[in-house]
Amino acid sequence: MNPRVVITGLGVVSPIGIGIEQFWSAALEGRSGVRRIPPFEGLPLEAYRSQVAAQVRDFDPRRWLDATQAERIDRYAQFALVATREALDDAGLRLEREKAHRVGVMVGAGMGGMLIGEQEFTKLYQGLRPNRVHPNFIPMITLNSASGIIAIAHGAKGPNLTISTACSSSAHAIGQALACIRSGQADVMITAGADASVTPLAFAGFCSLRALSTAFNEAPERASRPFDRHRDGFVMGEGAGVLILESLPHALARKARIYAEVAGYAATSEAYHMVVPREDGAEVAVTMQLALRDAGVAPAQVDYINAHATSTPIGDPVEVTAIRRVFKRRADRMLVNATKSLIGHSLGAAGAMGAIVCALSLQTGQVHPSLNYDDPDPACALDGISSKVQERPLEVALMNAFGFGSNNAAVVFKQAPARRRGRRRRSR
Amino acid sequence: MAFDSDIGTQIRTALAQYLRREPSAIRPSDSLRDDLGLDSLAMIELLFRIEETFDLEIPNEDLLKLNMVGDVTGYIEGRLGAPRPAAAAPMPAPRPVPAARSTPAAPAKKAAKRPVARKSGSRRA
Repeated sequence: MNPRVVITGLGVVSPIGIGIEQFWSAALEGRSGVRRIPPFEGLPLEAYRSQVAAQVRDFDPRRWLDATQAERIDRYAQFALVATREALDDAGLRLEREKAHRVGVMVGAGMGGMLIGEQEFTKLYQGLRPNRVHPNFIPMITLNSASGIIAIAHGAKGPNLTISTACSSSAHAIGQALACIRSGQADVMITAGADASVTPLAFAGFCSLRALSTAFNEAPERASRPFDRHRDGFVMGEGAGVLILESLPHALARKARIYAEVAGYAATSEAYHMVVPREDGAEVAVTMQLALRDAGVAPAQVDYINAHATSTPIGDPVEVTAIRRVFKRRADRMLVNATKSLIGHSLGAAGAMGAIVCALSLQTGQVHPSLNYDDPDPACALDGISSKVQERPLEVALMNAFGFGSNNAAVVFKQAPARRRGRRRRSR
Repeated sequence: MAFDSDIGTQIRTALAQYLRREPSAIRPSDSLRDDLGLDSLAMIELLFRIEETFDLEIPNEDLLKLNMVGDVTGYIEGRLGAPRPAAAAPMPAPRPVPAARSTPAAPAKKAAKRPVARKSGSRRA
């Protein structure tokens, strides 16, 4: 019998707060992390079509990491490491007391070490001195640098993997961590999502793809507006979210506080198009149905959906169409929100952010507002979306994450088993 | 590379190369999406090449106006301040497409990898 898997710790580095308390408090207040970007060095901001992003501000890695360690890792890995430290503390998990090979690391990252990549590339072509490329360039840019450094920092010797599926990376990481624990490979999986690619080239790339919002450069906090009629593209974000996934027996044995259960997961490909979803939502519907089946949950039992909802003209209606296909009349009775309305689209970290929100919502019965939901678009309207906080006891939550590369993920979370349900202080 | 053909022909040529068709097969009334089968990414790639050819930037909000081949021609002419051809004038006979690539940017192998764009479920992002 496969063990059930639960979430026992959370950690976050986000545009609306570093640390879960700050993050959750800001989320419930509907605070936006989107600002006008400071210009990239040497490049006029006016040259970019989109000039807003949700960046992590006032992040000095040396506050949490020693200087040498901080210098040897890209920003995305710094985020992941800082959030991991919080999550492990939050879980009350001391790895020196654990069997090291039973604790693994699963990281989802879409872009990885973009900043160091662009900096060294620029230096190389400006200076034409290949021998001046930094020796740390390769260790920093390799996409598994975050999962490696997390394991090294904490002595986690279990399965150590990095999943890269663009915008659904950390949703897939959660699913694969779930599989590791269910299959008996690990008791604990430090599960992270991290990306930090608001960088000159990566940002320009998304601008050229015409994927980003450009109509709100003068009003940044209004740019990310999922489901709203005036949405015009997503807002790039960055950050890291970490969840400690643990087998239920292991969590109970050490009397851990449990936020929620990770009950089910599905990963599928639309096999359709690298960046455009199938308009009829049929494939997304399948992903959700498979996740529900894996969780042993019927659509009628779902209370809350943390939507992928990036604020793109095409994507939001596809998701809502799919939700209506799966849930039918219940579609308008569930609570639904869009975390990206607050923190933008953190690419590889988005799934982890959504999962953290699901865990906190299940624990507190509070669902954060969907910011800028001012003028609902009938093509993607659901009664359960609101620009205000909503409160309701929740038993089952579903999170969606859809990635470039035509791939989709859905994760189902359930209320924690009553025995170990801990209460986080409600923040309002 | 210097051109001596009119804007409409340049655009048709760019489209023809991108779609691997004869320029004469592309009409101003052709819908980029429904007749020529361009999905949203293909549209963006095509417009990128056109931006490079004419050295201008097409803001996101203008993309919505560009549905037919003629819309693109009219838009570029408007941006460049060129007089529009008479509405009733027949399309000029296509000039021979130069042997060398006449538009810069997007490498040919990128177009080669892309299958003929699907007609269903595609809409510009």
